[in-house]
Amino acid sequence: MKKTILPINKKSWSWIWKIAGTLIIIVIIACNLTISSVDQPLTAAGGSVVPITLNCSIMSNNPQTSALVVGILVPKIWNASSNTTVTFTADQTTGPQPMSLIPPNTPSPYGNGLSWQDDMMATIGHANNLIPEYEWIAFQSNQQYNYPITTTETVTVSIQIKVSTNNVLFNMAYVLAESGDGLHSTAYPPTASTSYYGTAFPSKPIRINGTGNLLDFVNPQLSVIVPGSSIDNDIITIPFNAKADSNALSAASQVYLCATGYTHGDSIKVCEQTSKTQLVSTGQGQWQTNMWPRGFFNLKAGQTLDSMEYYFTDVTGATKVGYAGGAAPFSFTFSCQ
Amino acid sequence: MPRIIKTCCILLLGLFVFSCKVEHLTPPNEPMKNIAGSWGIIHATRNGTDLTSGFDFTKFRIVFTDSTYAIDSLLPFIVTTTGKWVFDDPQYPFNLIFTPADSSKSILAPFLFPVTGGVRNIVITFSPGCPANSYQYTLQKVN
Repeated sequence: MKKTILPINKKSWSWIWKIAGTLIIIVIIACNLTISSVDQPLTAAGGSVVPITLNCSIMSNNPQTSALVVGILVPKIWNASSNTTVTFTADQTTGPQPMSLIPPNTPSPYGNGLSWQDDMMATIGHANNLIPEYEWIAFQSNQQYNYPITTTETVTVSIQIKVSTNNVLFNMAYVLAESGDGLHSTAYPPTASTSYYGTAFPSKPIRINGTGNLLDFVNPQLSVIVPGSSIDNDIITIPFNAKADSNALSAASQVYLCATGYTHGDSIKVCEQTSKTQLVSTGQGQWQTNMWPRGFFNLKAGQTLDSMEYYFTDVTGATKVGYAGGAAPFSFTFSCQ
Repeated sequence: MPRIIKTCCILLLGLFVFSCKVEHLTPPNEPMKNIAGSWGIIHATRNGTDLTSGFDFTKFRIVFTDSTYAIDSLLPFIVTTTGKWVFDDPQYPFNLIFTPADSSKSILAPFLFPVTGGVRNIVITFSPGCPANSYQYTLQKVN
């Protein structure tokens, strides 16, 4: 019997395999976690519970069972890991499904040793918040779920954050992921890692109308003390952003602090151009100094600071820059609220 | 001849049976942790932000004896005056408990005693100011 030879040569087979392989990969990677929209109030009262809803969809062509993961970028001052409740509903569930806080040191899958929170910070970022007093908190569903194959499932995540009483302006951010693939799955190498999570950055910041100094994470400012909630026995960081606004020290090569601390009915002024008051350059017009107010103002035992006023000077002390670049000093109230 | 073999077998069996002794194993005794000496700060964080190079921690000293402590060049710390200290458990301590001389109130600080690079460190976590601000100091013995 004569052997039949197929009219396909070796080169053609090579092309057939490449095309078929690409099609297979396209089918497999058709995995999507998307946050379609965010319902988030523009303003809320200090100390209130802020309701936030993430409208999401999930689709995967690769059958798998894993837990739903939600990350939220928040100001540290809210202590949100202790004051947040997250639940979700989905097409396949009945009623709200509880989610629990992921402990801080839990490694993120494929996260190169980083915790979920650190991986979110490294991968998703900090949503252009300017004061480095923010954190990601992460929640995971208490149960694992089968991910829908070829069909899109609607998921609605409900977040309730009891915010602190502080005045805050902050850019929120959210991420939706699942516990099997994390943020960087290598299961399908040609697949972009962004296929394994969805993000949302609301176009407007949230404004918490509370008490005390406004902690404005959004607008560049000449100086915002960190941590915003601190007393005289904390170590506080006093920055000076020389490029944030037009001011007389925008080109200075040395910047010094001139501060007055107010105790009960008394004031202590430290205004000198020495190493004690000199700010250190951190590059690109950014300066800062770390201060322990009790030591800086040489307080006696039993003496406490209520507030502080300060401005910045050049090496001569003659050029002064205060609030909004003017002559009025910056003001800071020592409080844990 | 069979009698000699029989006797030898009985002797060997006896030797085998009586050679076994019950061994009384005693678990190794975990030594008491000794922190006596003068300690300085080699690393410090506030809410996870490294403050070590941006603030002068070099002058701070805490000197532990067997039961007392003294502080030199005070910085934000768990206590501000001299006093007494104890571990919550001398063999397996998880907390250092300070009792300042001018107070009857004890202050508890989570305590770690790791060896890093062959050198024993003390890592303590505390909030000297607002409760929301958490500081972690890594102390190393100063010669």
